[in-house]
Amino acid sequence: MKLQEIIDKLDLKILTNIEDKEVEGVFISDMLSDVMTSAKPDDLWLTVQTHTNTVSAVNLIDMAAMVVTQGKVVPQNTIELANRYHVVILSTPYTTFELATKLVGIGLKAT
Amino acid sequence: MQEEKCSHSWKMVNIAYGFVITEKCYQTDKVATYFTFEHKPPLEEYREGDHFWNVMESAQSFRFDLKCTKCGLITTFNELMGLMMCTGCDKTCEVDIIREKLASDRTWVYVAFGFLPINERKQLTQEKILILENYFNQRRKSSKSRIKIVSHEIVKNFATCYAEVIKDIDMLCLTAPEGE
Repeated sequence: MKLQEIIDKLDLKILTNIEDKEVEGVFISDMLSDVMTSAKPDDLWLTVQTHTNTVSAVNLIDMAAMVVTQGKVVPQNTIELANRYHVVILSTPYTTFELATKLVGIGLKAT
Repeated sequence: MQEEKCSHSWKMVNIAYGFVITEKCYQTDKVATYFTFEHKPPLEEYREGDHFWNVMESAQSFRFDLKCTKCGLITTFNELMGLMMCTGCDKTCEVDIIREKLASDRTWVYVAFGFLPINERKQLTQEKILILENYFNQRRKSSKSRIKIVSHEIVKNFATCYAEVIKDIDMLCLTAPEGE
């Protein structure tokens, strides 16, 4: 499923520049160690973390985008860094569980 | 001989979680880092020869090996403390010069760094850095962008480096949700 389609269906807020790409699955964790060991490329990463070092982890694994849940405000320096490295950051007021449920509802699953 | 012929396909194996501890001796100003598998990171001060070590930081981390799924070769990475993404903070740093050169090809530069003190601890060899780079590029699957991993030895000054270290610390979100 295309990233733009997911954004439209779930009304996700786009915080960075965006390049549409294929999303293969969903990964949920708030630990960068978990991203390093278990995330897959083209995954959508659901997290509450907003630190700049999330960008370096997303970029390393080449994930499709990160979605910051629970309406957490992403700092401007994280957004600027993400734009420099073509990392897509989205946000939503939904909790991680609510968003995961909605993603399953539109046909996405863990890879 | 099999090793030389194989076009390795790497997989992360033997993953074990623990902590990277950074400690400092305030009598000699020496800083040291090490990895521990203890479930709770140690906090106690202790004496070791001329040093009186105090914990400065503990970050959750993990160790791993890479195994070739074709020939079974296992490469250990016990010397690797972490990776950090170059953000171009110093135009005179060799890492930034490489970053500038590769940015138009969408090749992102990461620095692999080992444990401190650098001159007292075994560090990653260039061969292992290349294996690590191959692993992440194979894992990314992307033809649009790549990863380049370089040694910490070419960082001009670690003390003033603003690279983004991938580590589970300082991650506390300080912003309240919107509308609250």
